[in-house]
Amino acid sequence: MGSETLPNQFIFNEKMDKDTLYGLYTDDFPYIEEIFATTLQHFDADFGAVQLAFEQENIEDLKRAVHKIKPTFGFVGLLETQACCKKFEDDCSRASSFTQLTNEYTNIKNMLLEAKDIIQSEYLRLKAFNASLL
Amino acid sequence: MSLSCIIVEDLQVAADYLNRCCEKSGQLTVKGHFQAVPEALAFLNSNVVDLIFLDVEMPGATGFDLLDQIAYSPKVILTTSKPEYAYDAFEYNVTDFLKKPFTYQRFLDALKKIPPTAPEVTDNSVTETGIDHIFIKSDGKLIRLNNEDILYIESMGDYVKFVTGEKKYITHNTIKNLEEKVSKQSFMKVHRSYIINIDKISNIRENGLFISGKEIPISKAHKQEVLKRLNII
Repeated sequence: MGSETLPNQFIFNEKMDKDTLYGLYTDDFPYIEEIFATTLQHFDADFGAVQLAFEQENIEDLKRAVHKIKPTFGFVGLLETQACCKKFEDDCSRASSFTQLTNEYTNIKNMLLEAKDIIQSEYLRLKAFNASLL
Repeated sequence: MSLSCIIVEDLQVAADYLNRCCEKSGQLTVKGHFQAVPEALAFLNSNVVDLIFLDVEMPGATGFDLLDQIAYSPKVILTTSKPEYAYDAFEYNVTDFLKKPFTYQRFLDALKKIPPTAPEVTDNSVTETGIDHIFIKSDGKLIRLNNEDILYIESMGDYVKFVTGEKKYITHNTIKNLEEKVSKQSFMKVHRSYIINIDKISNIRENGLFISGKEIPISKAHKQEVLKRLNII
């Protein structure tokens, strides 16, 4: 069943939780395209805030920036990324010194960049898919 | 039901999604979207809305800061990704708590929790007001409360609690409605959840006042008025 493609049905990247996406948007693919587009439009600014806080070694700002970007991944079905953001946010709350966060930061940074690539590629695929239905 | 609302949310995708849920429901008119508390407060100072969809953590100030400063009591649905705020949500008598991202069905469930007459709850639970007393309906009886016996009135969502030195009375009403009914000579609203008897204040601190040992918050919006009404020498 999992590999069958229904007509007019878009198959999302396996890292995106399709149940979440269908739960939020049903099969309104043009709207999902809009959501992906909005996410991408604001991604760099939100991710930039995370990077800036890290460079300034400001734990509170880092926590706040990760908290802000976190739900983005829920809206695009990247639940693992969302969970990692939550964990990093908790790590920030517990950290007594900035150096304790360095390794985790590298992980979360890579994860966020990978998430952006996935959203970007899915957005382009979805755009083409929606155009093909017109 | 057609309610006016605003969205206070710093994450654009979440605000767009919420806006769409509002439109889809056909029950709400979105009057504005604000990404931070000061802009939302500026709007609320000159506009009345029935409902606020309110994020908690935003740059500069939290959603709870907004609730402390707003001069009236619209219904509030919190939208956050942190379930840890549930306790505070309860303390602030919010209507519901939506954890982001939420489904459209969950959004509709939250709307169902808003009483149809929420902005104008006037069930005559205060049936008569005199210069020195009011009558309230409580436990199926009409009870006379002398102004001088009332310490303060506290919001409990769709109910209010009248606290006297000896007893507490809970009745179906809102602070907003009572603000119009109680004697302005004796009482004043100091916070979205509190009306106090001015004569009962024992002391005042930076952001709160004490009545009979109970600390009552004073919102920024009401602080100047409180200080004006007191006989400070």
